[in-house]
Amino acid sequence: MSTRRILTLARRVIRQVIRDHRTVALIVFAPLLILTLGAILFRSKPGPIPLGVVNEDRGIASPVGGTIDLGQRVTEELAAGDTFTVVALSGQEVEDRLRDGTVQGAIVFPGEFTAEFLKDRQAVLDLRLEGSNPARSMAISAQVTQAAMRSLASLAGAAMGAPASAQAGEGKLPVMLQATYLFGGEEFDTMDYVAPVYVAFLAMFFVFLLACVAFLRERSQGTMERLAATPATRAEIVLGYMLGLGLFAVIQVAVILFFTVWVLEIHHLGSLGLMLLVIVLLAIVGVDMGILASAFARNEFQVIQFIPLVIIPQVLLAGTFFAVPDLPAYLRPFAYFMPLYYANQALRDVMLKGWGLAEIWPNLAILAGYIGVLVILSALMMRREVA
Amino acid sequence: MTTDAIVQTNELHKHFGSIHAVDGVNLSVRRGEIYGLLGPNGSGKTTLIRLLLGLLRPTSGTIRLLGEAVPNKDILGQVGYMTQASALYEELSVRENVAFFAEMCGRQDRAWMDEVIQLVDLQDRSRSPVRTLSGGLRQRTSLACTLAHRPRLLLLDEPTVGVDPQLRATFWSYFRRLADSGITLIVSSHVMDEAERCDRLGFMRQGKLLAEGTAAELRRQRGASTLEEAFLQFAAVGLEGGSR
Repeated sequence: MSTRRILTLARRVIRQVIRDHRTVALIVFAPLLILTLGAILFRSKPGPIPLGVVNEDRGIASPVGGTIDLGQRVTEELAAGDTFTVVALSGQEVEDRLRDGTVQGAIVFPGEFTAEFLKDRQAVLDLRLEGSNPARSMAISAQVTQAAMRSLASLAGAAMGAPASAQAGEGKLPVMLQATYLFGGEEFDTMDYVAPVYVAFLAMFFVFLLACVAFLRERSQGTMERLAATPATRAEIVLGYMLGLGLFAVIQVAVILFFTVWVLEIHHLGSLGLMLLVIVLLAIVGVDMGILASAFARNEFQVIQFIPLVIIPQVLLAGTFFAVPDLPAYLRPFAYFMPLYYANQALRDVMLKGWGLAEIWPNLAILAGYIGVLVILSALMMRREVA
Repeated sequence: MTTDAIVQTNELHKHFGSIHAVDGVNLSVRRGEIYGLLGPNGSGKTTLIRLLLGLLRPTSGTIRLLGEAVPNKDILGQVGYMTQASALYEELSVRENVAFFAEMCGRQDRAWMDEVIQLVDLQDRSRSPVRTLSGGLRQRTSLACTLAHRPRLLLLDEPTVGVDPQLRATFWSYFRRLADSGITLIVSSHVMDEAERCDRLGFMRQGKLLAEGTAAELRRQRGASTLEEAFLQFAAVGLEGGSR
């Protein structure tokens, strides 16, 4: 094993990539573009949803005077936020308005709504949804439930005959919703949850393609044959490539990470250096996967074919968007087979839980193990061309 | 067996399935010799050269290169190999290509690299990326890469394909100068007029070495006036003898 030959090779690979300005731009800017788009989409708040309300609630007389109209209170609560624009409807209109899209959902408060609630201490909300977009339906249901809970909680306090002084006092409500967060908190948004693994995936994906094509070219332009006729061994060739392309991986990861943290202001609790380490390890795994995969490709188009075969299954199964414990049992073993899974775990632990090296080292060790195995496999696969 | 044999093979066979690409070749090339490997396309010249380099494992038989048994990665540092198609890094300049292959063989001699580039008359284009070069210039760059590490043995696989006659003459006069300085060359070709410039020739056909000798000897043996005629006669006899 000659370090000098490995370095010579690495230098050549670096030089080649630098000469290809477009590829350099792709490596650095494409992830930033995708990250920015992702951040905008994950963080954008949709405009107010038109929600119909049919209020037939007659209410009941309050023990302290006046009437308590629960339907009215919930409606006011719904209208208060910027989530909904409330449209008053009559019972007959509901179906038509849902059909023509004037409203996307409608709540019907029957005449005995308040009375029933006070009797059963449970409100049954009659929510009718347009229903063609499941995500939107879920959002409406959740928001309506929340609004109803807030107003019912205040009413419960008022209607149960509690003294007026207690009503005025804070924190005395018999029904209260208090969300607590084990990790993260209210300032965390979806982007914060997705960002760690999004970053990891982008870092792996681009260097995978780069390595796969670079190594393929070495064979197709005949230089691999020539390289094989020098004292360089197969392992030296693979390591040289890994080192050369690894540099770009590090640069790319650094750019992505700083962009994520400083420009997109993704929250991270753990150390930035540790995040960098995890992603760099994963990117090097990506380089080695690319080199290995190139042995099975005859041209650039066949490299593209690895995207649905190697890349997308990793994204779907390795816990990027879908949590691995929620996968069907027969799919879970595949997740444990994928390097991205271990990087995802380590990154979420560091970014969302603020864990340190002491907790995440097993994941790092597994990633390092992948690098070793892939280098050996790549060197063995080269035997087919190089004796 | 001569002691100064730089290349020595013994009953070398290479089979690809049912195809006998190299079929019992006994080759012996001496130091400072230009050995011409002559034969039509598909006669096994490239396979033989790849076997000599250790890029292929022989089915049977042995090879010694520069006194060492093949395969041996270390001796490759003293061997220059020019592939049929000019195998170069397109994004890199002429000089960077030459320097890369020299360094891979453990040599970093700037003065020698300049000399090699001058030799193939590329000093004006040494900073140009290979991507911008014509076919002939690429071929010259390829030769420069082969020489960059001062090899003791050169294996040149059809080095003059696609090279214009003037440059071809330049190449051959240069091959002679190398041989005179003690470097051994094996040059494969299917162009007969090049063969006249070799010290010794081997006629190859269907993986067999049909005949060996100087151009004059080979012509005389068959009473032929040209090498081409001699080759065709050897081929006819060789195949007759070979058919069982």
